[in-house]
Amino acid sequence: METFIANLLNGLSWGMLLFLISVGLTTVFGVLGVLNFAHGSFFMLGAYLCMQIMHVVPSFWIGILVGPMLVALLGVIVERLLLRRVYGRDITFQLLLTFAILLVLDDAVRLVWGPGYHVVEAPALLAGTVPLFFHSYPVYRLFLVAAGPVIGGALWSFFHFTRWGRVVRAAAADREMAAGVGIRVPALFTAVFALGTWLAAIGGALAAPHQSLAPSMGERIIIESFIVVVVGGMGSFPGAFAGALLLGLLESFGTVFAGRAQMALPFILLALVLLVRPRGFFGREG
Amino acid sequence: MKRFFAILTVILMLAGLLPAAPATAAEPVKIGFVYIMSGPFATYGQFAKKGAELAIDEINKAGGILGRPVEACFEDSTGKPDVAMRAIRKLVYQEKVDCLIGLDSSGVAKSVVPSIAQLKTPLIITHAATPDVTGTVCNRYTFRISLNLAQNVKTAALLAARTDARTWTTVGPDYAFGHQSWEYFQKYLAEIEPGAKFLPKDQIAFPPFKTTDFSAYITKIMQTKPDGVLISLWGGNLIDFVRQGAEMGFFNGDYEVLVTLGAATEVLSALGDKMPEGLWVGSRYWFLANDSALNRDFVKNYHGRFGEYPSYNAHGAYGALLTYKAAVEKAKTVDKDAVVTALEGLTVELPVGTITIRPEDHQAVTDACWGKTAADPAYPIRILKPMQIFRGVDITPPASDTGCTMK
Amino acid sequence: MDARKSTSPALRAGLAAMVLVLAAAPLVMPVYWTIILTEIFIMGLFAMSFNLLLGYTGLLSFGQAGFFGVGAYAAALLILNNCSSLGLILAAGILGGGVAAAVIGYFCVKRDEIYFAMITLGFGMMLYTIAHNWIEVTGGSDGLPVSAVPAFGFAGLEIQLAEPRNMYLFVLAVSLGEVYLLWRLVRSPFGLLLSAVRENKERLAFVGANVAVVRLVSFTIAGALAGLAGGLFCLFNCMATPDFMHWSYSARPVLMTILGGSGIFLGPACGAAIFFVLEQLITNVTENWMIVLGAILIPVVVYFPRGILGTVWARLHREREGGRS
Repeated sequence: METFIANLLNGLSWGMLLFLISVGLTTVFGVLGVLNFAHGSFFMLGAYLCMQIMHVVPSFWIGILVGPMLVALLGVIVERLLLRRVYGRDITFQLLLTFAILLVLDDAVRLVWGPGYHVVEAPALLAGTVPLFFHSYPVYRLFLVAAGPVIGGALWSFFHFTRWGRVVRAAAADREMAAGVGIRVPALFTAVFALGTWLAAIGGALAAPHQSLAPSMGERIIIESFIVVVVGGMGSFPGAFAGALLLGLLESFGTVFAGRAQMALPFILLALVLLVRPRGFFGREG
Repeated sequence: MKRFFAILTVILMLAGLLPAAPATAAEPVKIGFVYIMSGPFATYGQFAKKGAELAIDEINKAGGILGRPVEACFEDSTGKPDVAMRAIRKLVYQEKVDCLIGLDSSGVAKSVVPSIAQLKTPLIITHAATPDVTGTVCNRYTFRISLNLAQNVKTAALLAARTDARTWTTVGPDYAFGHQSWEYFQKYLAEIEPGAKFLPKDQIAFPPFKTTDFSAYITKIMQTKPDGVLISLWGGNLIDFVRQGAEMGFFNGDYEVLVTLGAATEVLSALGDKMPEGLWVGSRYWFLANDSALNRDFVKNYHGRFGEYPSYNAHGAYGALLTYKAAVEKAKTVDKDAVVTALEGLTVELPVGTITIRPEDHQAVTDACWGKTAADPAYPIRILKPMQIFRGVDITPPASDTGCTMK
Repeated sequence: MDARKSTSPALRAGLAAMVLVLAAAPLVMPVYWTIILTEIFIMGLFAMSFNLLLGYTGLLSFGQAGFFGVGAYAAALLILNNCSSLGLILAAGILGGGVAAAVIGYFCVKRDEIYFAMITLGFGMMLYTIAHNWIEVTGGSDGLPVSAVPAFGFAGLEIQLAEPRNMYLFVLAVSLGEVYLLWRLVRSPFGLLLSAVRENKERLAFVGANVAVVRLVSFTIAGALAGLAGGLFCLFNCMATPDFMHWSYSARPVLMTILGGSGIFLGPACGAAIFFVLEQLITNVTENWMIVLGAILIPVVVYFPRGILGTVWARLHREREGGRS
């Protein structure tokens, strides 16, 4: 029982982190129709910029406020200069373009911050631990478990209850019609991509006190985020949430039963779900 | 179409010919280095490059090798076996190097070593720790001067036997390195202390390499309540495990903890004061271990030039050049076969201490240093206090055990 | 496609000349570039197997390295069990890749576009995990190093493939044979069926063709050819390792195909050549090849929608047509 609850918490906190990383990816896909290979690199940039800002102003909260905004700015530039040119092209080109962006960003991070490892401290408010059965449990993990639904809920409300959110959803559903009723679709796409990169960077900044920073951290997470997005249903919000939780819990409880198949768990999940539900849990058929 | 291919062919030829400019009169001794220079583990290659550059400058300032200057060619293995093979072939066929130095990944090393015999060029391995390259796939041209997995884990077993811990478990990366570390540890500790117990397969933890959240593994190990834990994680995995484990009370002193690569400087400097005190940690080289003039100079010069303490990989590349120089001076020629013969049985002083390359399997018999992590105001990172030095002869398994059938 | 109507005598003569140039190349080329060219052929073959799916059948496979790796392991296992027939070793690669692709393809071919890419990624990585963890057979994460590749018996001579020029000629011969077969395949009625699947699978289904079966056959052939490339790669590098099956190796043929142009028969092979030459040039100058390669790829993807060879081809074609009119 104790192990069960510990693994439940472990899985939930990891799943929430996966959700925060994947939610921007699924938003961008839902609206722009682009599967962004460089999403993990924006995640990484969020973490590194948060760390860099903390070197100047030693506050995690300022880091997480300013860092992701800078990354979103980069997102605007990337969308305006590059991504815009491949909308409507074959998915292969979009994957390859964003893969090339990944190569550039990953190497740029290595050039700026060096190839070594860095760590970021959790804010004092969340640095402690609480007792839990046979070990202590970090407050920061519980914070992650709470942060996931809060950010997810805020985004969901934004898309469903605000005018802007509805405009985005309209454009996602039918690009031509949205343009017909006077929505400036190109500007909207830029804004959505910026939102996606901002979310990736927020995920990175939130992950920073939890894992070491290295130029490979984006590459490590990207395939798992793809899996979360596809399993949940591409472009689906609740889908990303469900997919992330499922993968988080699976990897956590996998340590009990999976043995040496642990490494393959995300891929087994991916293939099984696509076999049973070709568009993922919440995906639109068609 | 034809024109296009003609142009392509010309480009190919030009690209091939350009670097092969005619050699100058004072012909240099060329050394080829193959390390991970890019990608996730570039930090290891960059350390090696610093160590190599320091050694080459020192050797050239002192008159070179046999009066000839040393020239380095660095190639990037990217940590992938086929790319490493291409790099090695480039160094041998194109750059025509006299000796190869390098190899970080064990998997890469094991894959390329059998081909070294066909390229007939000496290879001095300085990092990859798999016992197999001086064991089952050993050959005449392959040498290793760094501490290998078997030696390091034997040291861990000697330390483990001194503790009160009876029941042992492990956390290691889910690939050959992690599994072999545990396998050898069980073998050696059972030999020294027949009463030692080891937790069964389903209770030990081998997190996949890409893991960043170790909480489930930490829970798993803590729940089995062992007396001692052997940790063979390294690099970013180790940093993540140590931080997350510290938060969850893993290092509160309930178990003896042996970290086979915990004294690596890239880990210690990233963790800073977040590295718990009182853990037994090892490495392939610890810059404060050997109080010799050579080591003091090496540490001083390295720190002066690069502003950091030398990591084991920097020492590996530095040491390999000293080893090669000694072998050439013994052979009095850079002829590859003569150098190979000279390397066999060679004794040479390196910063880590005096090493001897065994002729039977080409593994260096070298000292190991372990210690307990401790804070020291004189250093920005945790250092080892107290230190335990283990003599190479005590920790190197006999050549007959390695599976090497060269001789 | 352009290629279908362009076997003019001039082109044939050109191709024959090219083959002669390639066969004679090692006489003048530095050894290292002979080795690089060998690798280009193998990777070109791999990319062309991939393009049978992407360019001809309209399927983006992101697990092609799985079959490439199965081919490499099949070859390595035969060599380690003292098989001395190169024909048998390569046949094992083809068979291994083909069987794996037939089984996996059965589950995948009903999916489209990104879902096809993802499910093939999933299965490819499962193969990777098997190779990585089934220590008894695959050697685990270290893979299977091969210390000696069997000699090639030709006209009573023992030709050692460890010698790079011999390996080059051997790989060249196998590649040419395979390219010829592929060429025949895509120009056969079956090839036309593939293109029809790509262009409009609904209409094809409507006229009674079984789209899934056509795709499965194509997927199996592509897997078999990837297995052959993998077998050659094993001989070439004297190893089979799990890395060969990782998704990052599946990304290689995608990259090469888009670089060269998926609409041209030889586009992927040309992309492989461009990729390797670029990589050599970049890594000669800098360790930061990733940033340079990325900076080169971005404009290629944006401005060469048909790939480099595809764009050059279209340009030449237009010139020729313009000259005639």
